[in-house]
Amino acid sequence: MSKQQPVIFDIGWNACINCGACIAICPQEAGFVSPFDTIAVDRPCDIACLLCEQICPVDTIRHRPAVAEVTPAGAVGR
Amino acid sequence: MPQLDYDVLIVGSGPAGSTTARFAANAGLRVLMVDKRQELGAPIQCSGAISRHALEAADIVPDDEFIHEAIYGFAIYDERGERTVHDYRRLKPDEYGSGGGKKPLGYVVDRRRFDRHLMTQAERAGVDVWLKTEGLGYTPTPDGRCTVHLRRYNQEIDVSARIVVGADGLQSQVGKWAGLQTHIKITELAGCLQFIVDGVETEGLLEIVTGHRWAPGGYAWVFPKGNGYAEIGLGVIATMTKEPAKDHLHRFMSDSFFADRFANSRILEVQGGGVPLASPLRTQYADNMILVGDAARHVNPITGGGLHTAVAGGKIAGTFLSGHLADNLPLRSDALSAYQDLWLSAVGEKMWKLYDIKTDIFHNMNIAERDSQLYATMSDYFSPTSEFKKI
Repeated sequence: MSKQQPVIFDIGWNACINCGACIAICPQEAGFVSPFDTIAVDRPCDIACLLCEQICPVDTIRHRPAVAEVTPAGAVGR
Repeated sequence: MPQLDYDVLIVGSGPAGSTTARFAANAGLRVLMVDKRQELGAPIQCSGAISRHALEAADIVPDDEFIHEAIYGFAIYDERGERTVHDYRRLKPDEYGSGGGKKPLGYVVDRRRFDRHLMTQAERAGVDVWLKTEGLGYTPTPDGRCTVHLRRYNQEIDVSARIVVGADGLQSQVGKWAGLQTHIKITELAGCLQFIVDGVETEGLLEIVTGHRWAPGGYAWVFPKGNGYAEIGLGVIATMTKEPAKDHLHRFMSDSFFADRFANSRILEVQGGGVPLASPLRTQYADNMILVGDAARHVNPITGGGLHTAVAGGKIAGTFLSGHLADNLPLRSDALSAYQDLWLSAVGEKMWKLYDIKTDIFHNMNIAERDSQLYATMSDYFSPTSEFKKI
C-alpha cells in the first residue's frame, strides 16, 4: 500500500448518492473531504489504498496519477 | 450576537447528537449543537427501523410526524427463500397488534422527519442549534475547557465549551481531530444501497434475506415504508465480491426468489451508505471530547442497525455529562473513561458479544456453512427468546 503513487480521485457525480461510505473507509487524516460528503477530489491522496473505490455502492470513484497535474495537457491519458 | 460560551458543544444533529443534547439540556447544561447540513436526515443513509422499546427508553414518544409504518415482527429468509417468521401479533397476541390496547413492536421512520423531530425536542429543552455550521477542529485550553472552531455560513467562529461531543456519524471528523483510532477495516464496512419502491406488498414485518448469493458479507432486506411503499436494499462487503452493491441489488430484484414479487416495482428514491459491521471503537473519548452514535461506532454488528444504539448512547452521554459537569470533574482524557465504562455496561458489552458472534460466522470460508450459520443466527437473534432482543 505504501509504495503506491499519489492519485487524484475523480467522482462521477451523476451516479454519486452522497452516501459517505468513501469517507467512512478513508484512512486519511481529518479533512480529506469534499463539500459533497465524499473524499477530497481537489488534492492528491498519497496513501492511494483505493478502498474508497472498492466500497462505493454505485462504483462511481476513479483515479488518475497525481503527476498528471504537472504534465502538459494531454500527456497522460485515462 | 450569539452566546459564544457553552457547557457542551455537539457536532452533528442526528439521532445520537440530538438525544445527547436533549438529556444534557434537560439537566440544566447550556448546549450548542451544530450541523453542517441544511436539512437533517438527508441524504438518507439508513433503512429507518427502530423498536418501540428503544424510543420509549430514550423518552421519545412515537409520533405520526415521523412514523412511516408500524412493524409487528420479522421474517428471515435463507438464500432459497425458506423462511423463519417471528410475528409478534401471533406470538403475543394480547400485547402486539394494531387493535385497541395493543402496540407495535417497532417502526420504520422517515429519517428526515425523525431527525428534525429529535432536534426540535432538543431545542424545546433549551438547546441552541446552528445549521449550516461545520466543525473544523478543537483545542483544549489551559483553563480545562476547549475552543471549538466552526464555520457558519462561510464565517469562521470560535466557541468556548467545557466539552465537545462528536456525533458526526460514521464519517466522523471529530474522532480524527483527537487522533483516536477510528479507522474501519474494509472487511467490516458494508456498502449498502436501497430503493424506495412502489408496487411491492409487505405484511408489517421486517424481512431479512441472508445468503452469499444475494449479499456477500451482509444481507438483503425488504421493509414496509408506509402508504404502500417498501424499501428494498442490501449491503455487501467489498472484499467478498467484485461487484458494487448496485449490481447485487439489481440481481436480487430480478433473479431472486422474490423476482415475481418485485416484477412491478417502481423505484421512487435511491439511497445508500456505509454500514459498519464492526466492533465499537475501543476508545471513545479524548481530552475534552467524547464520541456517540455512529461516530463511536455504536452500531449493531449483526444487523447494522444504528438508530436504537444512537438514541440509547445519546441518553447515556447526555446523562453522564450532566452528572460529570455538575460535579465539576476534570475533562481531560482519563477522567472521561467513565463515560465509556457506563456505555459498555449498559449496551457496549452486548455489542462486543455480537461482534464476536458475527466475526465467527464470517471467518468461515465455506460459503454453504456460513450461509446456514448466518440464517440460524439471524433467525435466533429476532426470536422472542433471544438474549439480545434489547439491542
